[in-house]
Amino acid sequence: MTGGQTITQKILSRICGRRVAPGEVVMPQAELITVHDWYTVNAFRTLEEFGVTKLHDASRVLLVTDHEPLAVSPQAFARQQAVRGIAKRFGVTHRDSGRGGLGHVFPVEEGLVTPGMFVFAYDPHVTNFGAVGALGIAVLTEIPEVLACGSVWLEVPETLRVEITGSLPFGVFARDAAQKLIGSHDAALFEDAVVEYGGPGLASLGMDARHTLCNTPVELGAVSSIVEPDAVCMAYATARAQRPIHAALPDADASYRARITLDLSSLAPQVALPPTPDNVVDVTQAAGKPIGHAFIGSCASGMLDDLRVAAAVLRGRQVAEGVRMIVTPATQQVAADAAAEGLIEVFLRAGAMVTAPGCGVCAGGRIGGVTAGEHSIGTGTRNEPGRLGAHEAVLHIAGPATVAASAVVGSIADPRPFLREAAWGMAA
Amino acid sequence: MSELTLRGRAWVYPDNVAIDGDLMALEWALKRETRPEVLREHVFAGLDPDFPKRAQPGDIVVGGKRFAQGNPHIQGMIGLRGCGVGLIAESIPIGSFRNALAAGLPVLPRCPGVRAMFANAEEIEVDFAAARVRNLTRGTEASFPPLGAHLVEMLRAGGWGPMFRRRLDAMAAT
Repeated sequence: MTGGQTITQKILSRICGRRVAPGEVVMPQAELITVHDWYTVNAFRTLEEFGVTKLHDASRVLLVTDHEPLAVSPQAFARQQAVRGIAKRFGVTHRDSGRGGLGHVFPVEEGLVTPGMFVFAYDPHVTNFGAVGALGIAVLTEIPEVLACGSVWLEVPETLRVEITGSLPFGVFARDAAQKLIGSHDAALFEDAVVEYGGPGLASLGMDARHTLCNTPVELGAVSSIVEPDAVCMAYATARAQRPIHAALPDADASYRARITLDLSSLAPQVALPPTPDNVVDVTQAAGKPIGHAFIGSCASGMLDDLRVAAAVLRGRQVAEGVRMIVTPATQQVAADAAAEGLIEVFLRAGAMVTAPGCGVCAGGRIGGVTAGEHSIGTGTRNEPGRLGAHEAVLHIAGPATVAASAVVGSIADPRPFLREAAWGMAA
Repeated sequence: MSELTLRGRAWVYPDNVAIDGDLMALEWALKRETRPEVLREHVFAGLDPDFPKRAQPGDIVVGGKRFAQGNPHIQGMIGLRGCGVGLIAESIPIGSFRNALAAGLPVLPRCPGVRAMFANAEEIEVDFAAARVRNLTRGTEASFPPLGAHLVEMLRAGGWGPMFRRRLDAMAAT
């Protein structure tokens, strides 16, 4: 077969040592395997049931504690201890509490994931690795096979091309673009495909924004997301790469399931209403709904750029009476940078709580969750009933600026007036 | 006709059947229950609670688009396997398709137009290796893209566990 290839096809072709095509079932060897928190205990229990005592390549395995970094129950203390024991027994790297943070983000920050790499993970949001031009795919039940044998079956996915055009208007951010994207198209377009971002508007988006863009399509059934490794990406990656770089660009004649356009210029701040992340409206249509719980963080929106804009809204203001606000930097690095820039002080003085780097409230509401009847707005990945605790809570998703503005007002609010007042984006 | 053929009655479901809630209550995933004989009693508890009583081995669940969409918990697929039925659908998201195969559930995930071929309780025959679907009541037939060889092998083996065991044994032998 001839013809051009998408980034995904190129990465999988390199891994398989031959040209592969969509629909083909292959057994690709993962260059990195990440397993998170208590899933580690289950995966290794299965390995033990199968009598596996040695991994295929322990140096490719990364265990991370990010869903519940600060254990707050006896069960969690025990689970964390079990993960430590597994790491020792199998000789694998374990980035424990306080030693990295969110496992979909710090491997990119630290250059453990590089352009063109192929990763399997026991968590759906491994798609963030696409920010740096790597392909991350989630495998759940069969992750023990990847750990023991290095690979598992994968159907080479089709690719959906998203051409980014224009630039974000004042007060509109990557999360708004990402929510609008998944809210504007039929799920059938995304289902089982890799979303490949490129186009003239890409250069205006930084690495943090690219994490966000790669995070959301999985909610609509995409198998992964990947951004063309352009000059912005390569400058970032080469400065920190700890693994070889195999950057792959799509061929001009690559064949896609479809090509769609994401015009940044036409966007307004977005809010996802219950019960799904693609149930998206402009903030003006949701404004005024009272909230009592606000969360900023997660692998979708817990990066430094997210904290910067949230702090711009909150600087010199107070979280409204009756609202509790939680801010969770994605990684130790993000938290340290935020502290150095004075952002943490802004959050604390505004009456928000800052929690240990990791997934924060979004990991099932294990910390700082909501109870029945409460209304929340947050930057977590999903808003299905029960995501942040009680099923009977009402969950909204928005970008960090909108969440911060809503926390100040006590009801869902357009962040743009706050940002205007803060002279956001104006030269200092 | 391959040995991966089931014959029974068709049970037809709409588009967007959710894994959690429609196919099986989330509590079974949270409890990490994986015994087919337990889970079979709870299949379709949210959508069609009589299903476990009505379903006979050989019957086929005929799903619409995005069957078993949502956070891919495997319990619903293990429950269907426990009922001895097969699953075909207009589309199944990849996470649920993987789980169906892993559970050893005979499955065809991409059968566009198949739902219109059947009404509830009509006689159905599905050859999962050949990806051929027959409505014996109406005398109609359709073929769909077959699964890859590795995936058919996985169905023959009875799911992911036996395939993994086989792979480990082969590795140990070399």
